[in-house]
Amino acid sequence: MHMQDAKEVLKLRDICLRFGKAEVLRGVDLSVKQGEVVVIIGGSGSGKTSLLRCINLLNVPSSGSIVIDGETLFDLDRSGADKAGLKPAQVNRIRAQTGMVFQQFNLFPHMTALQNVMEAPVTVKRQNRQEVEKRARDLLAQMGLDQHVDKRPAQLSGGQQQRVAIARALAMDPKVMLFDEPTSALDPELVGEVLKAMVALARSGMTMMVVTHELGFALEIADRVIFIDQGLIAADGPPEQVLLHPEHPRLKQFVGRFHETADLLRPFLEGKTAAATH
Amino acid sequence: MTFDWTVVTSNAHLLWQGFLITLYYTVTTIVAGLLIGLVIGLIQLSPFRPLVWLGRLYVEFFRNIPLLVIVLWTYYALPIFLGVNITKGWAGFLALSFYVGSFYAEILRAGVQSIDPGQTDASTALGMSYGQRMRRIILPQAFRRMVPPLAGQSIIQMKNTTLLSMITVPDLLYQGSYISSFTYRPMEIYTAIGLIFVVVLVPLTLLSRKLEKAGMVTK
Repeated sequence: MHMQDAKEVLKLRDICLRFGKAEVLRGVDLSVKQGEVVVIIGGSGSGKTSLLRCINLLNVPSSGSIVIDGETLFDLDRSGADKAGLKPAQVNRIRAQTGMVFQQFNLFPHMTALQNVMEAPVTVKRQNRQEVEKRARDLLAQMGLDQHVDKRPAQLSGGQQQRVAIARALAMDPKVMLFDEPTSALDPELVGEVLKAMVALARSGMTMMVVTHELGFALEIADRVIFIDQGLIAADGPPEQVLLHPEHPRLKQFVGRFHETADLLRPFLEGKTAAATH
Repeated sequence: MTFDWTVVTSNAHLLWQGFLITLYYTVTTIVAGLLIGLVIGLIQLSPFRPLVWLGRLYVEFFRNIPLLVIVLWTYYALPIFLGVNITKGWAGFLALSFYVGSFYAEILRAGVQSIDPGQTDASTALGMSYGQRMRRIILPQAFRRMVPPLAGQSIIQMKNTTLLSMITVPDLLYQGSYISSFTYRPMEIYTAIGLIFVVVLVPLTLLSRKLEKAGMVTK
């Protein structure tokens, strides 16, 4: 791919995050190019979700800088001097250039699927209601939800809710999409439909950062896989290198568990193909 | 003893007048209380510590002093402190509104805080401001949950208006004691007043149950 000359959509520098005494992130540097799909993996408590939530300031870093498409969203050096000095309205405007999809979907339960998708463009961007509705219907159709536009979240399955959530984020025309374990709360048989929607989105050229445990998805679609360990980036490279030939000892351990489950399945899978060839 | 209901029927016009006064103070103090509750409730949810404390102070003050003391104090002591004359009607209105406002504020605060933080995350991530989040996402959901406790507190409020009789506002209870004073039949009169409250409040209770169910369906 032509990643070398693509422009940087997101640039994080020296991101630190503290919750009280606990240091969750300890200086993360990361830049993401236009159209790149970055998968973030790591054990629980490694800081991978916190990192994602820092990008749109749902978690406010204790220091570091965040630049989205050339605009500085946040800039605080380690001494605590605020170099960006943005007003909340400016923060909201830049923040709206990122879309986020959550583990628990977080759809608005008092609105239909269509109203969920229309809410931010109408309320935040004050766009024309008719145009927003047309685009929202298109996005929901793209997610395979044409039959469900007038249903409320409670009437939808988890997989359908998550696809509405993706459409809701896309309606704001984000520069980068952030996925926080989007399939972790789903029943196993519903994971596929959400991953399929995400693969289609990645192929369409959307810049994506995905925190996930679906390593198969990472191998399939990621341009880069990042392993976070103890609040730092411990490995960063193409999926084949990070997932299939890990060097970092803790990454080896982490990926090893995945390979073990795959190994457990292998006899069954091979038995199946053997049976099919007969 | 036998009940002689003629003392009630022959003084029905006095009870009716009292009933209208009771209704008037119930409705006006609930409306004023809701406004106070909204302001104090939102103040308590603000990110500014001093405002939160101010709201807390208000709530604890009015919630922990007996209403009768507040009513009497507002009528007898407040005019002295402020150096102004307030009528018994105004004193009663203010006391009842401030009192119920503190309870409404707590209901609002608890209602908003019961909403899943994921809702704030999602609306914030979409670029919504604090005001937009509250107005479009949080409050509409919180109000649904607040219907049952608001209805409960409002029912209590109607009964609490009877304390106005202590500062001679001619409400239902005041009329009752007045009728008793010349008929010497308090049993019949107070039984009738009790029944009037039941007849008005039981349908309202049923209505709030219905609203509660309707609220659950939309979730």
